[in-house]
Amino acid sequence: MNALEVKNLTKRFSGLTAVDNASFSVSEGSVFGLIGRNGAGKTTTIRMMLNIYFPDEGEVLFRGKKTEQDFKDIVGYLPEERGLYKKMKVIDMLLFLSELKGKKGNQVLKSANYYLERFELADRKNSKVEDLSKGNQQKIQFIGTILHDPDFLIFDEPFSGLDPINTNLLKEIILEMKQKGKVVIFSTHLMEFAEKMCDSIAMIDKGKIILNGKLNDIKAKYASRNVSLDYQGNISFLNNHSLVESVEDFGNTTGIRLKNENTDQQLLKLLIENNIAIKKFNVDEISLYEIFISLAGKEVTDVQ
Amino acid sequence: MFNRRTLAIIKRELRTKLFSKSFILMTLLVPLFMILIFSIQYFIHSMSDEQRSDIIIVSDSDEILNKVENEIFQTSAFKSGDLTSRTEKSEINNFESKLNQLKSDLINQRVTGVVFIPSSALQTKEVKYYSANPNNSTLFYKIKPSINKALVEIYFSGKQLTQEEIKFARKDVDISGFRVSSDKEVAQEGYGNRIAMVLFSFLLYMALLFSGSMTMNAVVEEKSNKIVEVLLSSASSTELMAGKILGTVIVELIQMAIWLSPMFLLLTTSWFFIPAEFMPQMSIGYIFYFLFNYGLALITYVALYATVGAIFDNPQDAQSGVWPLMLLIMIPFFIALGLESNSQTSLAIITSLLPFASLIVMPARILMVEVPMWQVLLAIVINVVVLIGIFKLAGKIYRIGILLTGKKPKWSEVFRWLKLSN
Repeated sequence: MNALEVKNLTKRFSGLTAVDNASFSVSEGSVFGLIGRNGAGKTTTIRMMLNIYFPDEGEVLFRGKKTEQDFKDIVGYLPEERGLYKKMKVIDMLLFLSELKGKKGNQVLKSANYYLERFELADRKNSKVEDLSKGNQQKIQFIGTILHDPDFLIFDEPFSGLDPINTNLLKEIILEMKQKGKVVIFSTHLMEFAEKMCDSIAMIDKGKIILNGKLNDIKAKYASRNVSLDYQGNISFLNNHSLVESVEDFGNTTGIRLKNENTDQQLLKLLIENNIAIKKFNVDEISLYEIFISLAGKEVTDVQ
Repeated sequence: MFNRRTLAIIKRELRTKLFSKSFILMTLLVPLFMILIFSIQYFIHSMSDEQRSDIIIVSDSDEILNKVENEIFQTSAFKSGDLTSRTEKSEINNFESKLNQLKSDLINQRVTGVVFIPSSALQTKEVKYYSANPNNSTLFYKIKPSINKALVEIYFSGKQLTQEEIKFARKDVDISGFRVSSDKEVAQEGYGNRIAMVLFSFLLYMALLFSGSMTMNAVVEEKSNKIVEVLLSSASSTELMAGKILGTVIVELIQMAIWLSPMFLLLTTSWFFIPAEFMPQMSIGYIFYFLFNYGLALITYVALYATVGAIFDNPQDAQSGVWPLMLLIMIPFFIALGLESNSQTSLAIITSLLPFASLIVMPARILMVEVPMWQVLLAIVINVVVLIGIFKLAGKIYRIGILLTGKKPKWSEVFRWLKLSN
């Protein structure tokens, strides 16, 4: 069942179309990645999903109904640019964020203490936020996002600016939430993370959704036409060959995209005939990055 | 608009503001500051009073010289040493050369001035004053009655008048003001209401400017430290704005109530003693009216300041965008101060009914004259209507502005936001 359905969302800012007719859906209990380069329209899409921006066209359905305040109450949102009230005490800040979501009282206090303990910040709970290090402020922000026990978690570029410890901590949170059956949606330009963590993805480029679906299905579909190759020799003859659509050099490996499905054995034969020393020939392996490149074009430089 | 989220935001505002150092400091410092301002004014005023004056009285008549000197000896200024005088006799024809002799003393201020009272003054009462600073009203105020008294006495002494009659002629006219209102008794008017009017207007002016710019900076800060996006994932921008404004209004009302409490006690108890002429004629109802009106003014101006804060993402830009609002507070304040000399001008009546201005002018006017009840109510109704309008407009600008960062928006863009329907 679809927990969240994004239908034909469009948002324009003074002439510029930031999101253009975007549609995708997120199923219950899944981890969903919204992937695209910087400025592709990820944050705008997320803000429309949260009713922070009102879309010019389209709508967002939450379990079949238009999203309203009841949706905000069960969402935990971690924006890309994080912010806390610097002068507030850590514990007051957390309780305030929870109260806004309609959760207060002993239960919240208990779980605030639990998370502070777990993130090794129990001794700082009466410190002012501004007295904490940046890494610790990030931890407080995570706690603030999950403290009210939301059913949905939306993280916008969650890994940007995190130190390695907090990166692992956040991964832990995401997996834990997934195990609890919650829906986790995150946007990222880091394909590697998306590939490891997501059940489904939507790729967005210049405001348009260019690919969307279950990660396994997508990979299976693209893999049969993609070969990743480690070799020694000169393969420039492939550039204009009738079997090959494109050759992509990724440094250690080379990605070869075939024109037709199930022609990989012909390619292997061709390489051997041309005396190329093959170290590794992998038909099934295709990275999200390669898929993204093949769809969005070569000028992509800020995704990995 | 008013729900648990608004309430949570109001509670946060109260908690962080009421117990903040700056609130406690402001609550204590503002009365001190006001006392300081009033005492500086009083000091400057008395400085001009206390300046020593040395004058030379010149006349061609011994009688005039004697009588005038006698009268001057009896003035308090002479007794306290602020005024010294000596007399010199000179024929009218020789006065020119006498003045020439004294010229360097006058220019060097060794002598404050020369008062020339020719015998003809007994008919015309025309007296001449020569000085480097001939427009010294403080000095005139001190010596005029003495000269007048002396001339009157000499003039009537030749006539067959009793001492009583001369005393009457010498006496100056004494005007006392009485306030006529619909109350049964006609009360003698002291300085009380004028002082109270200046005091209350000043308090209103300062408090509005201060709380306005505090709110503006708080909004800019929320915007620039990005907390606002986290808040917007829980509450709508209207709830956020309403909570912020109402929180500020409650805090400021509490502060104002603290500032006004001495006034309240002054009116209701006999714990304080102040001279009758400084005692303002006002009812306790006025204090409540003042607080109510202050509440309206706060919501109006704080909403506007918050909106300006939402448009800009750094304090410098916000400061440069806020001047129209400051004028909206300053101009009515100066009109209110102008009421001190005459409170029944048509400017005063009109501005006490205009939106924005009436919030500051009306409470001042009520202290000075009896304003018809319908005018007071009309001003309140007008302000409430304007306030609702402002809340709607502010909400629209706030919603769009609050997430906008980067380039400083043009005013034309801000007007375009107003036209957007949702």
